[in-house]
Amino acid sequence: MISWLGYGVLTAGLVLAAWTGWQAYRRRPTTEAQMWGAIVVEAGLLVQTVIALVRLAGGASVTEPVTFIAYSVGILAPLALGFYLARLERTRWGSIALCFTAVVVAVMTLRLLQLWQGHV
Amino acid sequence: MSEPLRDPAPDAVDRTELEGPPTGPRRVLIALYAVFALAATARGIVQITTQFDAAPLAYALSLFSGVVYVAATVGLVTDRSWSRPLAWAAVGTEMAGVLVVGLLSIFDGAAFPRDTVWSRFGSGYGYVPVILPVIGLMYLWQTRRSPDGPPHPAG
Repeated sequence: MISWLGYGVLTAGLVLAAWTGWQAYRRRPTTEAQMWGAIVVEAGLLVQTVIALVRLAGGASVTEPVTFIAYSVGILAPLALGFYLARLERTRWGSIALCFTAVVVAVMTLRLLQLWQGHV
Repeated sequence: MSEPLRDPAPDAVDRTELEGPPTGPRRVLIALYAVFALAATARGIVQITTQFDAAPLAYALSLFSGVVYVAATVGLVTDRSWSRPLAWAAVGTEMAGVLVVGLLSIFDGAAFPRDTVWSRFGSGYGYVPVILPVIGLMYLWQTRRSPDGPPHPAG
């Protein structure tokens, strides 16, 4: 991992969550811009996963490597699901689904950073 | 044997839920349950394969909770005759599980030297594991007479 990228993705996930959460509060479906926002965050997650796995293969040591790999790969799933559901559900419930999955990837990123920084 | 009219290769995926009326809460529940299905199952597998001896009971429960979340997700996504009974059974098991494991983990720490998804009422997951079955049961109760089908005996 690269710390600034990790924290960047984490922040982007929280921003997306706040944005879609606000949209849900206003009882509206997700906007086109929010869907692109989700794509951008997902792209960031993908880059982060590739970098993390490459650096891991290159000999970087992390605490609980199995857990780290599982999180690195698993983190790509939630936002994709939220995106799909928000596309399907053109009501505020779609906004809630995307909001929740954005929070999940932010939390997972934090956990990944903790595992990564466990090595000195 | 009936001949397929339009579909030479029928889609194996159950798409009936896309044809029903829009059900927002259900889709949010699907998101919640799918995420926990992934999290708990993966965690259980990792724990059991890497350090099973450290806390066999806790790790077996992690995997069990994962299976329960998967079953609940399947019950929510599909629209078959067995879907709602499956959802009821899974969410009910989950409710009982999170309460029992939650209590045990507080009063009998020796049995749970390592955490599970349901330990201390799911505090490690922001208490979502204890709230989720309540929401799930409420949803199932509210929708027990689906407008587009007969009332299910399980409801």
